[in-house]
Amino acid sequence: MKKRSIIGALGLAVLMLALAAFPLASRGQVETAVERDTLTIAIGAEPESLDPVKMTSAPAATVGEHVVERLIYMEEDGTLTPMLATSWEANEDSTVWTFEIRQGVTFHDGAPLNAEAVQMNLARFVNPQVGAAYAFLLGSVQDIQTVGEYTVQLTLRQPFAPILSHLSHSFIGIVSPNQIRGIAPEATFENPIGTGPYVMEQWRRGDSIRLSVNENYWGPTPQIPNLVFNFIPEESARIVALETGEADAIMAVPPQDVARLQADPNIDVVFQTSVRTIYVSFNNIREPFTDVRVRKALNYAIDKQAIVDSIFQGSGFVADAPIPDAVFGHTSVGPYPYDPDRARQLLAEAGFPDGFSMTLHHPTGRYPLDATVAQAVQAMLADVGVNARLETREWSSYLQFTAQPPDQAEYDMFMLGWGTVTLDADYGLYALLHTRQWNPNGNNRGFYSNERVDEILDAARIETNPSVRRPLYAEAVELIWNDAPWIFLYNAAQINAVRTHVEGLIHHPLENLSAWDASFR
Amino acid sequence: MDGALLNTGEIGLYQYIARRLLLTIPVVLGVSIIVFSIIRFIPGDPARAIAGVNATPEFIEQVRVRYALDQPMYIQYGRFISGMVRGDLGNSIFSGRPVTREIGERFPRTLLLATISLMIATAIGVSAGIVSATKRNSIFDNASMFVALVGVAAPVFWMALMLQLLFSVRLGLLPATGSGTIRHLILPSITLGTASAALMARITRSSMLDVLRQDFITTARSKGLNERLVVYKHALKNALIPVVTVLGLQFGILLGGAVLTETVFAWPGVGRLLVDAILRRDYPVVQGTVMMLALLFVLINLTVDIIYAFLDPRIHYQSGSGG
Repeated sequence: MKKRSIIGALGLAVLMLALAAFPLASRGQVETAVERDTLTIAIGAEPESLDPVKMTSAPAATVGEHVVERLIYMEEDGTLTPMLATSWEANEDSTVWTFEIRQGVTFHDGAPLNAEAVQMNLARFVNPQVGAAYAFLLGSVQDIQTVGEYTVQLTLRQPFAPILSHLSHSFIGIVSPNQIRGIAPEATFENPIGTGPYVMEQWRRGDSIRLSVNENYWGPTPQIPNLVFNFIPEESARIVALETGEADAIMAVPPQDVARLQADPNIDVVFQTSVRTIYVSFNNIREPFTDVRVRKALNYAIDKQAIVDSIFQGSGFVADAPIPDAVFGHTSVGPYPYDPDRARQLLAEAGFPDGFSMTLHHPTGRYPLDATVAQAVQAMLADVGVNARLETREWSSYLQFTAQPPDQAEYDMFMLGWGTVTLDADYGLYALLHTRQWNPNGNNRGFYSNERVDEILDAARIETNPSVRRPLYAEAVELIWNDAPWIFLYNAAQINAVRTHVEGLIHHPLENLSAWDASFR
Repeated sequence: MDGALLNTGEIGLYQYIARRLLLTIPVVLGVSIIVFSIIRFIPGDPARAIAGVNATPEFIEQVRVRYALDQPMYIQYGRFISGMVRGDLGNSIFSGRPVTREIGERFPRTLLLATISLMIATAIGVSAGIVSATKRNSIFDNASMFVALVGVAAPVFWMALMLQLLFSVRLGLLPATGSGTIRHLILPSITLGTASAALMARITRSSMLDVLRQDFITTARSKGLNERLVVYKHALKNALIPVVTVLGLQFGILLGGAVLTETVFAWPGVGRLLVDAILRRDYPVVQGTVMMLALLFVLINLTVDIIYAFLDPRIHYQSGSGG
């Protein structure tokens, strides 16, 4: 009897184990061996929405751009190429832009692409009732008109040079007019109907999005029939998914796991520049940071290369300008060399031979290893006599804390990042460094101000000739660099990893991973 | 939980149930106030969190107005309650979709995970507990109680990663992430169920030992009854009463506590929905999810109390206090 009860209990346990180890190969193995018709990409976050007016994140852009296209596409090197618009031209003073729309293109629901469809989409994007987060990208647009079946005209309030880069932004997608007609202005839709190489198949909330190839695509039809984006927020689980083959590619590999993946012969680790620069801004109107010698001293005190090498395992680039080098208008003017002696000397000249104390605010978990970087900065500052107290806040209260108007701003220094997502210097410099953008009017949270820089940024906004704009930005970049309103740290790298049987993925500096040219080896 | 309350003005089972149901109303209201205020006391401006770092001040203001974040707290609370009564939990600030839909899509998956975990936990826990009790101080007893101790103490996170490394990376037997097939369920439910199984084993064991020491067992044995009959019919039924209580509570805990498991295994349940919503300051989703979990917890407790009554006819209901 006793034996039987033990056997019963053990039997049950064995049964459970047998169930657990039920000899079926894992999903990953089955799929890689048998159905090579599906490419699975694991991304770190679920898109908030795929309705262009609701999109705010890189994961949304990555998934969305396979389904919905925009007028102009931005290549990895920043070149603007025709997408749904085949050509464009501006009038003499660059206030009226005329776009020719591609003919013979149909949306996934069969509706034809024409000027009216484009007009409806752009009008919806800027409609204040709709409330698109990125409506400001088209803030210079006064009017959108159709002037022919395949011609659209944009009238601007004043000349705005970066308008083409702004139109290339992945959030300004063109969806089927039926989809827009079908809903109220303030409503959004879930499964977008676009013109892209892939068609929306299924969105399993919290789990994945499945796309299938668009057989009627106007461009070259992709080779891989199905595309699945899995949402795996946990970093280690994303890596396990790649190792087991459940995912063919993953985005946002944590730097500390690069070596582990590189050791796997079936996995390629891909480093790509990003458009995100990470900096520590001074409160430029607060003592002692009103003194440029102090600001420069602190730039000399930081060993940027050591941060990139030891914290990011060499992935990342020491900042040599306030904007990353992929951005139009970038000029290499730095970096400030690591020179603690020079830092001490400058501090002494500024009246701080023994250094001083202050608080360094930083986010945690917003950017890869951000808190670790803040600690490294703290240690290096201590080396030149500057005693930095670290203070962290949860992201949304951090944003609020650093958004106070000048008379209420209670910070000495804060760490932040900025992605110049239009790959145009205007987006990176104007919002962060123009005097008109001081809190609470914009994102100049460190209250930097330089009249000449303001003049140049205003002029370069209006000037549409790239060969005139480029030297303008070169001058601004140099002035900003010498004013040292920030400790310029590094430009983040993106790290993706792909199983070697996949080729042709596009790792875009805008933190998109595109699969329309991909194939299985 | 109210256990056995003795005598004074007994009432019928149905009246008791009705009373308990009515009592859930103040409980739910209380929870709603706590949930509503706690998330608003967390520092940080939700409008700013929603709008993002690149947002213009105009857009931040727009968000504030659109989601009534500029209204006084009591008005926001009033809207929340009146909506809830109508079954409308508002729209997610993050995705713009109705909260009821967000929860509706994810809840079945959490329910499935919690149910399977509880089944595994009960099967393993109760049988190990019985064997340990009947074979007290044997090697099996000591070993299983040691394993149970480890099971209770092991962090879910570590457990999940170890299972993934062993069964997915090394052996390639089971998928490490995702959902959709039965095989996707196995690792997450073992992870989630381990601590419950261990707890269940310890409680079954001690409860069994208590019962086996009682007089009626001795009587049964002295009548020459088959030992299996004594253990499984007479002792087990009585020993299971505390186990049922724990089982009910565990179910509620598993439903609400699947957060870590769901995160590591990328299991699309309500736990992950809740954590994501908290990080995004998505007030409507946080409120809706917590309210639903609280309501469930109350209902599960009620159910356990009722099952209790059926299992043990000695339990009576007091008319004076109620809960």
